[in-house]
Amino acid sequence: MKTFKISNATELWQRETSLPAVASFSQSLDNMLGTEGFQLGCITELLGLPGSGKTQLCLQLCASVQIPKELGGLNAEALYIDTNTNFTISRFREILSASLLKCQSILDKPLQITEEEALNKLHYVNAFGLEKFCAFMYRLSKFITEHPNVRLIAIDSIAFPFKDGISTNQRTGLLFRQMAELQKIAVQHQIAVVLSNEMSTRVGLQGGAVVGSLGDAWAHRCNVRILLSTPHPAQDQRERVALLMKSNVAATSVARFQDQRERVALLMKSNVAATSVARFQVRALS
Amino acid sequence: MQKLKSQNLGNLSESSLKTLAQNRITTILDFLEEDVSKLSALTKLSLPQILAIRNEIFTKYSAPLINGTDLFTKVFKTRSRISTGIESLDVVTTGGIPVRCITEICGLAESGKTQLSFQLAINCVKDEGCTVLYVDTKGDFSAVRVQKMLDTQGYSHKDMASIMYKIRVVHIWTMEELVELFKSLKNKTLIIENLAMIIVDSLPCLMFQHLGDDNKMGLSLLNVLVNYSRYIANEFDVAIIYINIQTRWIDNDISDIEDDGESTSAFRESTYIEKRNRCLGRYWEHIPTLVLLLEKHEDVYRESDSYTQIKVSVLSSNAVKNENSQCILKLSSVGIT
Repeated sequence: MKTFKISNATELWQRETSLPAVASFSQSLDNMLGTEGFQLGCITELLGLPGSGKTQLCLQLCASVQIPKELGGLNAEALYIDTNTNFTISRFREILSASLLKCQSILDKPLQITEEEALNKLHYVNAFGLEKFCAFMYRLSKFITEHPNVRLIAIDSIAFPFKDGISTNQRTGLLFRQMAELQKIAVQHQIAVVLSNEMSTRVGLQGGAVVGSLGDAWAHRCNVRILLSTPHPAQDQRERVALLMKSNVAATSVARFQDQRERVALLMKSNVAATSVARFQVRALS
Repeated sequence: MQKLKSQNLGNLSESSLKTLAQNRITTILDFLEEDVSKLSALTKLSLPQILAIRNEIFTKYSAPLINGTDLFTKVFKTRSRISTGIESLDVVTTGGIPVRCITEICGLAESGKTQLSFQLAINCVKDEGCTVLYVDTKGDFSAVRVQKMLDTQGYSHKDMASIMYKIRVVHIWTMEELVELFKSLKNKTLIIENLAMIIVDSLPCLMFQHLGDDNKMGLSLLNVLVNYSRYIANEFDVAIIYINIQTRWIDNDISDIEDDGESTSAFRESTYIEKRNRCLGRYWEHIPTLVLLLEKHEDVYRESDSYTQIKVSVLSSNAVKNENSQCILKLSSVGIT
């Protein structure tokens, strides 16, 4: 007979607050999330049109997971599952060294880590195509037991493997099975999961035709959804706007903004954090 | 089908059970279907004795008769609704969430279903002092959020701890696990004291895992789950809430504005009609006794307080229809009021 682990909310609260969330280096973004960053054990979905900074944010998070414990970070490793070959190691190196430099300047002493060691803390997987992706997801629990210090899993992007060769029903079934497995691992090992997703068009929808891809059922699955976009008109090429569409924690920012224009007030103003400025800048110019 | 052996039937001895088994009569059904005289010969029992055994089986397994007075006393002695703690919601639901029934809360993604279920759990513990079981199927239970809601309502740390202690959370990842959980609740191998409410957030998350399968596994599991839920709800006087989602369809309707038979094609205008439907299919549609539909209504932003308005409509209910079956709730940092 299987026994079920039933915990009360007090125990869960202690567990949830025992470890810090993965900060993004952008204070306004972290504040908006209500948990000072990307919460461990949760699945966060990043939505946005091409060029809105989804991949950049993923890379940034892979770097910020390494923030040393002295600075309230996790000092942990990251797993990057690349499904659309958007990843470039040179970009990541830039982001990483900028982040580490920032940590150094706050701590006011040199970090005890070389660049090589820091780069070693990123585990990169190129899962191109549905078969490779599924095969890797199947082996994920083994990977996590072998690398217990992984605290962030980034999948960029979740929609890409499912673009072709699978019927809609099968896709939903498979996705939900995979996400259940993924979240089980995330909750047990306290890992933050970040997925990026593309936008798609549905003609005739009341609330606007451009919605996140993978359908309405999928929208229900993730715990936190963030919509990234380039502000209009752009005063600063490097600036990106983040809108919290759904969250299980921060009810306030769901409520705070009256309309789309005021929602923009909740900007992920990149200039707040020196590191993320650079990141967004290069992307915008290239 | 149940085995004969385990039934402890009056006159059937071990040796005659063995003889029956040798003749391929192992289950109750086999026994009932077999010719009486043959059974008599095999077991060396007289015909009236065999008939007595048959009658024993029938009385044991037929649905029991209860008279109206008994039924009423049972319902009368225990409460029939659990107050939601939200006044306007209590009015439209005629007193709250029905006990001994299955309730469904549905709505599009991001419509505040999870937030409402947090609030229901908190209010149930706070007002009634009962225990709530929160079945979390997508890692959505946030103890931090619950603590914040209690904190903004001005509870002391001690009260917060005692309220949160009574919210029990279990993580379930597959349909099979959920059925197993309900089974152990039913068999009392898993006992939660003073349990008043079970919230399953959310069912489609588990059911969608079976989407695209050729077999009907998902449906049969759902059926078993519904049976267990009904049994548990009745036996332990528990209210069971399932969270369901909505999806949107878009129909492309061609409407003829001028249909005079000549210039139809020129005046055709295509309109899109958005339709929403509850998930989980036709079978589930009629299972819940109370269905609440949540819609995000309007965001209100003021300096002093900002909140989101959520429109709740009662789609179907076992109680007498109220005049208005809709109300507006307020979702803010305090929770839902």
